[in-house]
Amino acid sequence: MNPVEPSGKKSSIRFNADNLFTGGIMAFLLVILSVFLLYPVVDICRLSFFKDGVFTLQNYVDYFSEPRIFRSFYNSMFVSMVTMVITTVLAFLFAYGLTRTTIPGKMFFYTISTLPLIAPTIIQALALILLFGRNGVITRYLLGTSWNIYGATGIIVGEILYCFPNALFILYTTLSAVDTRLDEAAQSLGASAMKTFFKVTLPSAKYGIASAAALTFNLTITDFGIPVVIGGDYSVLATEIVNKVFGLQRFDLGATISVILLIPSITAFGINYYLTRKSYAMISGQARPFIQPSRPLKKWAFTAYSALISSCILLVFVTVFLGSFVRTWPYDFSLTLQHFDFPSLGASVPLWTAFWNSVLEPGTFRTMIGIKYAPIWTSLLVSLVVAVVGASITLVAAYIIEKKKPRGEQLLYSLSVLPAAIPGVVLGLGYVLAFNKPYFLIYGTIWIIIINIVIANFTLGVLSGTANLKQIDKSVEEAAVSLGAGPVTTFTRIVFPLSKVAFLSTTTFYFMRAMTTISAVLFLVSAQIKLAAIEIIFLDVDGRTASANAMCTVVVFIVALFLIIMRMTTGSSGLTGMSATR
Amino acid sequence: MGRDLKLENLTKRYGLVTAVDHVDLEIREGEFICFLGPSGCGKTTVLRMITGFETATEGKVIFNNRVINDLIPKKREFGIVFQSYALFPNMTVEENIAFGLKMRKMPKKAIAERVNVMLDLIGLSSWRSLYPAQLSGGQQQRVALVRALAPDPQVLLLDEPLSALDAKIRLRLRAEIKRLQQELKKTMIHVTHDQEEALSIADRVVVMEGGKFRQVGRPIDIYKNPTSRFVADFVGTSNFFDGRRTSDVVDTGRRKIKVLQNGAAAGEAVSLSIRPENVEVFKKKPIPPVVEPMNLFTGRIDVVVFQGAAVRLLVHMDGEEIISDIIEKEFEQRDLKQGDEVYVYCSPEAFMVFPEEGGRK
Repeated sequence: MNPVEPSGKKSSIRFNADNLFTGGIMAFLLVILSVFLLYPVVDICRLSFFKDGVFTLQNYVDYFSEPRIFRSFYNSMFVSMVTMVITTVLAFLFAYGLTRTTIPGKMFFYTISTLPLIAPTIIQALALILLFGRNGVITRYLLGTSWNIYGATGIIVGEILYCFPNALFILYTTLSAVDTRLDEAAQSLGASAMKTFFKVTLPSAKYGIASAAALTFNLTITDFGIPVVIGGDYSVLATEIVNKVFGLQRFDLGATISVILLIPSITAFGINYYLTRKSYAMISGQARPFIQPSRPLKKWAFTAYSALISSCILLVFVTVFLGSFVRTWPYDFSLTLQHFDFPSLGASVPLWTAFWNSVLEPGTFRTMIGIKYAPIWTSLLVSLVVAVVGASITLVAAYIIEKKKPRGEQLLYSLSVLPAAIPGVVLGLGYVLAFNKPYFLIYGTIWIIIINIVIANFTLGVLSGTANLKQIDKSVEEAAVSLGAGPVTTFTRIVFPLSKVAFLSTTTFYFMRAMTTISAVLFLVSAQIKLAAIEIIFLDVDGRTASANAMCTVVVFIVALFLIIMRMTTGSSGLTGMSATR
Repeated sequence: MGRDLKLENLTKRYGLVTAVDHVDLEIREGEFICFLGPSGCGKTTVLRMITGFETATEGKVIFNNRVINDLIPKKREFGIVFQSYALFPNMTVEENIAFGLKMRKMPKKAIAERVNVMLDLIGLSSWRSLYPAQLSGGQQQRVALVRALAPDPQVLLLDEPLSALDAKIRLRLRAEIKRLQQELKKTMIHVTHDQEEALSIADRVVVMEGGKFRQVGRPIDIYKNPTSRFVADFVGTSNFFDGRRTSDVVDTGRRKIKVLQNGAAAGEAVSLSIRPENVEVFKKKPIPPVVEPMNLFTGRIDVVVFQGAAVRLLVHMDGEEIISDIIEKEFEQRDLKQGDEVYVYCSPEAFMVFPEEGGRK
């Protein structure tokens, strides 16, 4: 018999393939998030607090002492508060109708309400201008009034339409999870319908309501697309940052306002995050009970209400589509495709140009597709890469966090959810400050844009990934390991196939975000590299409203097409369980 | 000889909690060992230290004369069967069974042959291209069993494999596991909280409580000669009487019970236990008289539970209750009914005597 080998009393750290795999990926993710998330934000703070290497609060003193600039803070808070209250109330009633009444057409209403997710945030502003602007078809034509919607009103209405699906998603989840038998119990004990609603239904959904409110606040205060188009002279923090940087080349002031914007935005995100956890903790695993048929009055009131809201959302899309096909809104409604022949935006994208040159006959059509449509092709390329890279990297991160739980897992998790708290404009500016240096070779290429979008939307990818991985039995992985599979094989053969649905929905989410995002990449586009969603703003600022509408229509068309393809190939709706957290 | 598995002083602590407390065991090649204990006793933790999914805080796991504490699970080449089956839902029955063989880079042809052998072993050949979700729980666990056996593991570890199944299937699969073990002569380590399962399936049973091995032995020894009140209580059904012992008589306060001679000091606190099948119940005073008249008590039948081959009686004896199992035939011959005043006899040698365990049930 061989002598028994000695073994240390304490188990040594096992250095093997599994630890190497986990540690390697962990290190990679931490480096990526530190460089592309923390570093830019830190750089912004540094710039706002230091002048010539000396710590100073001068920038903040300047900001708060000039009333005209300080106004932007007040304005931001004002529109965000108002939007928050109105959106939460509207979305709650809508969610109530969908979950607690027996109205017809629930699926239809729900689908319509998610539509704003597939368009750039600017679409609401474009539609409002066409309807209620200086040349608005309603204000000018139907009412003959000189009143128009520019300013705070426009921002608020636009933001409500944009935030609605995000708030609705949270409230819908909350209300469908809360046990309706509580309501029935209250009524059987003699409470009136009104009393039941205020004493039972509303309190049981309180975390969901507060969380939806905080999310709406965060989305509004960080948005750039709507205020820049419809705000007019009404400046908010996000537009003020861009003004200072683009208009005055004052990066220090832009950085200062960014830090000021970070405070309410991170606070709202923190509240939302905390409440979402609390709200999910209240969800019981009960089977959804039968909803008793609503009384006729209630039923018709909620049907009418849902129809009204859905019409408003649809109206936005219809208006912008129409706006892109009519000759001169609102004077000449004859149809034309001329607005789709965009004014020469063409950036040099040799890849696309070469491709179209090889398949199309020379002529104006080739010029249009090959050169004028270059921003669209760039957006498409960026979005496809972002979709695959973003979904993959967040799934791997979620896997490490949820299943491997290595040392420092909490740090990785915190960094992973942080992006949702950082406004896109701030992150974008941070990228300019941090990476606009000759030795960052990726700066000025599409890669910096891709990285920016992947990082900016990291939160939702990781959250949906962890939620999915929680459902995979730990024994399944152990079974694979005990049968001789290494960490890589276990991931590719077992974990990945079991996460496919979540992976595809994250892919769809990333694609939508990449096609429609404005604020995050605003600072990263250039004369060489243009993106479709950003071009909408530039066209609009240029006064080419119709072309802006046309570009918006193209973006919506591409996203919708992608959703349909995903749905046909995977059999599941790409929008299910999805909502932008920013 | 050789491929034995040894646990030496094995300990697992989670912070201040000691889940497994310095246990020693030698498992011979080809032996069927069953870890039995209530939930939380540490049996699964022992198993997980053997598999390598858990690292020992102290002590050694030795296999084939080699300390394998630091060997990763993959390298141990032990097969595992899980309570939740843990079949790969994205693979067919066939692919599941072939998985371990592929990982060992076996040639394709050999894999196909081996899979066929395995499918025949459990009689599921016609299910080969189905997915786990299309199988019943019992079928899934059979697939999981041969999936673990397919790569010919040195040791097969079964972690409560039958707990998720319903009673009938459980019995059938239990027999099947036993048959496979005898056919393949494979070392198997089985963890369960079901004492009947442990006794019926294992060569040796390890009864665990509070992270410690309370008793290790053949099923019949565990049942007939439990070494502690805990084992007597946990394994099978027992009647208990607490009292003080003087020489061969135990005084419970209500009655005096004669037990086997043992030179104990006067007044020692003890616990007596007796199995229900050793408790006899008579309608009339038995003739010829019982050997030890001191142990003939009177009582009244409170409850009669028909259990098929046997009948369980709950007899009330002046403030104490005793359970008696008598075979159905005798029950009928003796014409016993609920409410009958009866005589209860417990022979002295049927009692097991344990020193009182402070505070423990």
